[in-house]
Amino acid sequence: MATRMETSSGRGTATAHRGAAVRRIASAMPAWVWWLAGIAIAAGFPLLNVIGVVETAWLRVGVVSLIFALLALGLNIVMGETGLLNLGYIAFFAFGAYTTALLSSPKFEIHWPFLAVIVASTLVAMVAGFLISLPTLRLRGDYLAIVTLAFGEIVRLTIINLVPLTNGPNGITGIYPPRLFADAKPALEGIEAWFIIDKPLEYYYLVLVCVVVLAVLLTNLKNSRIGRAWNALREDELAAISSGITAVRAKMLSVVLSAGIAGFAGSLFAYYSNVISPESFLFMQSVIVVCMVVLGGMGSIPGVMLGAIALQALPQLIREAAGAARSDFEVYRMLIYGVLIVVMVIVRPEGLLPDKIFRREAHEVDPRELEMTRQSLFDLEEGEKDLEV
Amino acid sequence: MSFDHIMSVTIGGLTVGMIYALIALGYTMVYGVLKFINFAHGEVFTVGGYVAAFSLLAMGIDASTPWLKVAGAIALALVAAVTVPMVLGFLIERIAYRPLRGRSRIIPLLSAIGVSIVLQQLIIIIFGPKPVTIPTLALSSASVSFLGVNVRVLALVIIAVSAALMIGLTYLVKSTRIGKAMRATSQDMEAAEMMGIDTNRTIAFTFLVGSALAGIGGLLVVMYYGSLKYDAGFLYGLKAFTAAVLGGIGNIPGAVVGAIVLGMTETYGVSVDLGFLAWFVVAGLVLGLYVQMVRVPNRRLAHIAADRRTPEYERSIMNVYRLTPYHGIKTLLAERTDALLSVSAVDAVRLMAGNIFLAVLAAVMFINSSARIDTRWQPVIAFVVLMVILMFRPSGILGEAVTEKV
Amino acid sequence: MVQKRTGRVLALALAALLALSMFGLSGCAADDGGDGGEGNGATGEVETIKIGVQTALTGPLPDYGLAAKNGVELALEDFGTFEMNGTTYEVELVVLDDKAEPTEAAVVAQTMVDEGVVGVIGSLTTGATLSAIPIYYENRIPQISGSVTGPKANETGADTFFRTCWNDAIQGEALGVWAMELGAKKVVLMDDNGAYAVGLADVAEDTLKAGGVETLRQNCQSGDKDFSAQVANIKEFGPDAIIFTGYHPEAGLMRKQMVEAGLGDVIFMGGDGIRSEELVAQTGGNANAEGIYATFGGFPEEQQPGYAAFAAKYKEKYGEEVGPYAQNNYDAFGALIAAIKAAGSTDTEEIIAALQTLSYEGVTGTFGFATESDGAVAKGDIVVEGLTPSNVPRYVLKDGAWVSAQ
Repeated sequence: MATRMETSSGRGTATAHRGAAVRRIASAMPAWVWWLAGIAIAAGFPLLNVIGVVETAWLRVGVVSLIFALLALGLNIVMGETGLLNLGYIAFFAFGAYTTALLSSPKFEIHWPFLAVIVASTLVAMVAGFLISLPTLRLRGDYLAIVTLAFGEIVRLTIINLVPLTNGPNGITGIYPPRLFADAKPALEGIEAWFIIDKPLEYYYLVLVCVVVLAVLLTNLKNSRIGRAWNALREDELAAISSGITAVRAKMLSVVLSAGIAGFAGSLFAYYSNVISPESFLFMQSVIVVCMVVLGGMGSIPGVMLGAIALQALPQLIREAAGAARSDFEVYRMLIYGVLIVVMVIVRPEGLLPDKIFRREAHEVDPRELEMTRQSLFDLEEGEKDLEV
Repeated sequence: MSFDHIMSVTIGGLTVGMIYALIALGYTMVYGVLKFINFAHGEVFTVGGYVAAFSLLAMGIDASTPWLKVAGAIALALVAAVTVPMVLGFLIERIAYRPLRGRSRIIPLLSAIGVSIVLQQLIIIIFGPKPVTIPTLALSSASVSFLGVNVRVLALVIIAVSAALMIGLTYLVKSTRIGKAMRATSQDMEAAEMMGIDTNRTIAFTFLVGSALAGIGGLLVVMYYGSLKYDAGFLYGLKAFTAAVLGGIGNIPGAVVGAIVLGMTETYGVSVDLGFLAWFVVAGLVLGLYVQMVRVPNRRLAHIAADRRTPEYERSIMNVYRLTPYHGIKTLLAERTDALLSVSAVDAVRLMAGNIFLAVLAAVMFINSSARIDTRWQPVIAFVVLMVILMFRPSGILGEAVTEKV
Repeated sequence: MVQKRTGRVLALALAALLALSMFGLSGCAADDGGDGGEGNGATGEVETIKIGVQTALTGPLPDYGLAAKNGVELALEDFGTFEMNGTTYEVELVVLDDKAEPTEAAVVAQTMVDEGVVGVIGSLTTGATLSAIPIYYENRIPQISGSVTGPKANETGADTFFRTCWNDAIQGEALGVWAMELGAKKVVLMDDNGAYAVGLADVAEDTLKAGGVETLRQNCQSGDKDFSAQVANIKEFGPDAIIFTGYHPEAGLMRKQMVEAGLGDVIFMGGDGIRSEELVAQTGGNANAEGIYATFGGFPEEQQPGYAAFAAKYKEKYGEEVGPYAQNNYDAFGALIAAIKAAGSTDTEEIIAALQTLSYEGVTGTFGFATESDGAVAKGDIVVEGLTPSNVPRYVLKDGAWVSAQ
């Protein structure tokens, strides 16, 4: 089917320049090729560090980027799929991170095994998501945005104020690295060392696996019944309800699910950074995650991941681009970051890798799609002729 | 808790609220027309404040300068503090927002954040990272005695300016030609264009007015507090946004009411005894019960034709409302309910839960009536009150009446 | 459609212009530095070593970050070239900005490690330091901070962390003792909810309570401008003294608003966070600022052996008064170079060992570093000759200048 579209559309646009042809070939490639290519690039990236082309700092940027890719994927469920603007998303991240810090640090001398901690962190964030969605889901648009913003700030300030539990502004230090078993078993000592993750490279692959698995799961979910229900709610809530969708339940599910993903990401973040403090959960961070989703392309799973990686890696990229002059350049780094955000959003308002529906909304007429539509109509007519004969 | 204490807290809260209102007004203008969160507004405000401060410093005035010269300097500073933000606002709209017109509302949010980062960094690079301070003037330290409490003249000026701007803006939006164009643009941009309204020009004008208001706010804040830090705009922008939403989006008097509620909550929450605060909870509870028991059933009755309104019927309607929680729970427990009924039953139960929560809260507060909330919870209280108000009034305190949209 | 395009072109052009000008700027700077390096490189006996400066040029405290950078750059001029074992060593600075943000601090620390620095001056704030310490510790790179005063900054006890400024715990105790010496019976403690301020206030409060003084704790948020709620609370409490442990922007506003509320004769005290010349202007002038007390971590400046010369050099190079912690950062760099010389090697493990036994004659006094935690002094803390926690320097504001109040 794909090849047929390629040849037939080529017939109609003989004068198309090469760029368009490349793009057409690209769009004709099955999606799994892109997925594989993306995973291969992401998995191969640390090798550049191993052979010494890329500095280790980039690995740390990579880990943080991937953690934020998880966050962006989670926020995309509520924002991109269900159409609810959440300006306090980082609060769920904080729930996950603090749960991990409390269950696996010298603070209370608790040391749970990795898997138990990560599950607990996810669950805590999900419960928080459920509780906050109970009273707020009736709100719409900016009222929802401001209430989620308030929620995010309340969580952050409470973390600062609950000194006995969270150490307040000092944060919790010395979080144990993830390990499979809580207590070292003598028989397994040698093998167990393999399962302790404490180097940037190891964290990178751990988070990468999580991102890939989650992306695949979410792609399936997007095309499932519940995914379509979310999209219907986003497009027209009234119409969706009258088609038999239980709006409150579907919305609540999306909020709880995205909160769970944030909690999961927060747990990984706490493990990776070894120390967490309230400074990591500022309102600005919530806004940055929203930016990642918008920049990547709302509703598009590869898009939001790319957006997260782009926004996280950009400051370091600017630093590297300045080369030898970087020491004098640091003052201007954030300025250029801001300028680039504005330029990117103006040049590609629909996002870097937009979702189909949003692309249609963003451009008045997309010539490629028009051509495809015409072609399928033509095919239809041809088919009818076949029938007649 | 003495009378003096309550008075000074009240006046303090009112002033804070009016300062928020000053910025929230500019915010709500832009917000009302374009419906997107203009994150850069706070930074435009900071630029206004910096320009005002530096022009005052450049004119070299201090406490000993004769008042006529001071007045002239302030007037010049005002001109500068209004002009620069206006030019800035115009450019921001032209460069960062106009190319995105007609897209989903969330997209300009992103470029607004970009602009806000750029502006903040530019302020650091141009004016330096230290907070700017201006010398104390006789005007800014003068105070009058009011019911035994010292009130700063400048606080009164701020309250007066906010009130005047509120009235002026309401007039502008409701009764002028350009105001009509603004309302039309806000309601439906395409239709407005078809009616011959130059929406681009209208929006540019809105930005000019909004930025000018931010500049005035900047000048007054610098004069009132005597100093300004380069990142002050972020917090003020956030507070102004909160106030605008709390009052009802695009509602000009709403922005002022929202700002006052916010300012009062911030001060009252941590500086009066719980026993005193409890009365506010009681008032909220009484108001809520009045609406639930009297207003809503009466509104329902008003929809029923007069010939069908028999005394028994009215009584039965009233009883349904008075026993809402009972009916709600009964409906929820029933084996089959239709969707609409179950929705209203959930609402009924939720309302009841809200009432009980408020009653318990008030009781707890009365029991601990001499205790006071620690000041470290100050911002939390403000946000909690915001959430509670929006839960009971999902479209702001004054609502967003369509005809009144800016 | 046309308008849309022009907007886009305009935006692109502006961005390109801005980017170009920036690269142009940095390009010039790079040329200057590059020439010097190459010129020396040609002689053949010169070895270049890198020393990192992890500071925060953007984020909440850029003025502190800039002062730290200036201090180190000044030290580079004085100690940047030295001879050891017959080889001339030339130091190249790697200045990186961590935005005072923990996540970014980890990336910056890793970048430093990748760059192959032999030591790091920084970072600026406690939060950033907390997340940088494990990375430097793992890679065995000595880290000397000239401004991190948080008692818990080195809770894990890493042997790679040193500091040339005093731990807050010492100052907190000194503040409490001083307030009691001044005869205060009721004292308000106020912090800004940040790590530095809370740490200081906690220690001071414990000291006061142990001495039988009645205390009231108040808080604000860093960046707050209005303290009417807190001032009203304080007025009601009627204290003899207030200890404000935050930074000078909030302290100045707090003092100003207290004077306006008629609390001018309450003793106003603070830690080194308020000991800035800026404070005078922020309180609204001399009249308000007169008689504010502050402690300081280290010798008072006029007792610092090298301060006069340092201040003159600083003023000559940057055209302004010495910024906060600039001399501590200057000393941090000097101590690092001294340790390299003492170790006789650029091997980081040996430098760390040398730092632990170092005795260095710097601007702020002759000092070494504590090898073990002992009471208020933590591992890696500065230990200045002739200076003990019991004689923490005290200052008072007189005629707009800080003078010793020993």
